[in-house]
Amino acid sequence: MMRILALGLTLAAPLAAPVAFADSTPAQSLLEEMTEASQQLQYRGRFLYQLGGEVSTMEFSHAVIDGKQYQRLTHLDGRLVEVLQLGEEVVCLHPNGTLTRINDNDTGLLAFRDRLSSSIPEQYNVLVDGDGRVAGRPTTRMRVAPLDTHRYGYRLWVDRDSSLLLKSEMVDASGLAVERVEFVSLDLEPGLKRSDFQLPKVIAERSLETVPVPGPERVHVDAGWLPRGFEAADHDWRRVGDLRQPVTAQSYTDGLATFTLFVESVASDQVEEGVSRVGPTVAISRIQDLGERIYLMTLVGEIPQPTAERIMEAVTLRASAPSS
Amino acid sequence: MNRDYEALSAFLDGETNELEARRVLRDLDQADMATLGRWQLASDTLRGHASREVPPAFNARLSAALASESKPAKRSGVMGGFARVAVAASVAAATVIGWQYWSVPGGSGAAVGTPTLAANDSAAPVSAGSGSAMAGAQTVAAEQRLTRPFGETSLVAQGVRQNSRAAATTVNTAQPRVNAMLLRHSEFTARHSSQGMMPYARLVSMDARNGAR
Repeated sequence: MMRILALGLTLAAPLAAPVAFADSTPAQSLLEEMTEASQQLQYRGRFLYQLGGEVSTMEFSHAVIDGKQYQRLTHLDGRLVEVLQLGEEVVCLHPNGTLTRINDNDTGLLAFRDRLSSSIPEQYNVLVDGDGRVAGRPTTRMRVAPLDTHRYGYRLWVDRDSSLLLKSEMVDASGLAVERVEFVSLDLEPGLKRSDFQLPKVIAERSLETVPVPGPERVHVDAGWLPRGFEAADHDWRRVGDLRQPVTAQSYTDGLATFTLFVESVASDQVEEGVSRVGPTVAISRIQDLGERIYLMTLVGEIPQPTAERIMEAVTLRASAPSS
Repeated sequence: MNRDYEALSAFLDGETNELEARRVLRDLDQADMATLGRWQLASDTLRGHASREVPPAFNARLSAALASESKPAKRSGVMGGFARVAVAASVAAATVIGWQYWSVPGGSGAAVGTPTLAANDSAAPVSAGSGSAMAGAQTVAAEQRLTRPFGETSLVAQGVRQNSRAAATTVNTAQPRVNAMLLRHSEFTARHSSQGMMPYARLVSMDARNGAR
C-alpha cells in the first residue's frame, strides 16, 4: 500500500504535497524539503527531550528498507521504553517488559492527507526566522505561529545540509516552550539494516485489535464545537486483547495539532472525572449518561487546556443501536 | 501609607523589577488599591478594553471558597504522571495581586454572557456564549493580558475557571487503559498531524515516567 506515514522528523508532511506550489515561499519550500528528507534519508541521532520540566535522552534511527519506513525510538535513561515503527505496524515496549502492537489498516487516510497536503493549515503563519546552530551543525530557524489561541505554535531548526529537523519547540501563547526536542548528535550514514529494527525480547505481548462488527456498545461521537480548522480525521474501535471492553476513538486534527476522543462504556462506580496535563498534552475525562448506559469520555491531545475543556463541554454521544 | 505614586505607576505598567514589585505589594493599603484600580480602569478604557471592577468582596469570597475546598486527592491523575492543575498556587496569586477586573465578553464592549476574569486567553467560559462572542472575549482577554503587570494573572484565571468537579477529582484507572489511549493517540497523531516522531517521543517519555512510579 502506498500510504505514506508522516513519520520521520517532520512537522510539515502536509507540505510534502505532490502538488507544486505556484508561489512557493522560502518557508514553504524549506518545510517541503524537511519533510522529504525526514522520510527518505537514513540517519541516526541522539536527542534531548524535554517535557513538563523533565529531560530525557533518546536515540532515534530512521531507514527506508525495501520501500518501507523503519524507525526506532529508544529511551536511553531510566526505564527502557521503545517505540518501533515497522512499515505499517507500530510497537511500543513498556517499562515493565510488556509490548503493545497497533497495526494501522485504515484505508481512508490517503484522502484526508491529500486534502491537507495542498497548503499549510491556514490557522498558522510560517516564516523563516534566521540562522542557528544545533548539534554542531548550522541550521535555519523557522517559526510556525498559530493565528488563534486554540493551538500551540512551533519553533523549528532545520539542518542546512540535510534539511532534517534538528530542534523543535512547541510553544504556548506566551511563547514558553511546553515541549522541546534537540538533537545533540546526528549520523547521516549509520548503515542501518533490517536487524537494527528487531523487536526486543518481551515477557508478554498484547495488541490493540480492531473490533470489526459494531456492537450495541459502540457509540458515535459528535463534536458540538471544534476550533476552526479542526476536522474529524479517523476513528476506530479497538480493544486490548480480549481482556477489556472495546474503546471507541475519534481523532481530530488541523494538520499540525491533534486530539483524540475516547469513549468507553463503564459501570457508574468505576471511574471519576478529572483533568491532567503534562507538557503540551492535556487529558480530560467526563462521564456522560445516555440513560441505559454510562460512558466515560476522555480527551487526549496537544491543545491548550481551555480549548480542550470547551470541546469536551460540547461533545455529545449517540448510541449506534439501542441496547436491551 | 503608601503614596509613592511613581512607584505605583511603574508597577502598574510592569516597569518595576521583582524587588520593587514586592516592595510595592508589601506596602499596598486600601487607598493604594483603590488608586491602582482607577488607573487600571482608565488605562484599559484608553486602550479600548472593556472592563469593570471586580466586586470588592470577590477576593474574600474566593479565598473563603478555596479554603473550604478539600485538599486534592493524592496525585494519581488521568495519566498517572500528569501534573494536576495547580489550584492552590493560583489562589496565592489571586491574593497577592489583590485586584482583578472582569472583562466584558463580546469585544465591542457589549455586555453579553457571563463575566469572566480577563487575565489571559484561557479566561473564556467553557460553556457559555456563542462562537463569535467567545472569540471576541478571547481577543479582548489576550489584549488585556498585555496590560497586566504580572505573569501570575494567568494562574488566577486558570484556577477560577477550573470547575470544582474537574479540580477535585482524578481518574482512577488501571495503567494498561491509559497506555492504550496514549499509544492510540500517538499513532493517530503520527499519521495525521505530521508532527513526525514527536508523538512517539512524547509517548516514550510518559511511559518511562509511569513505569518509574
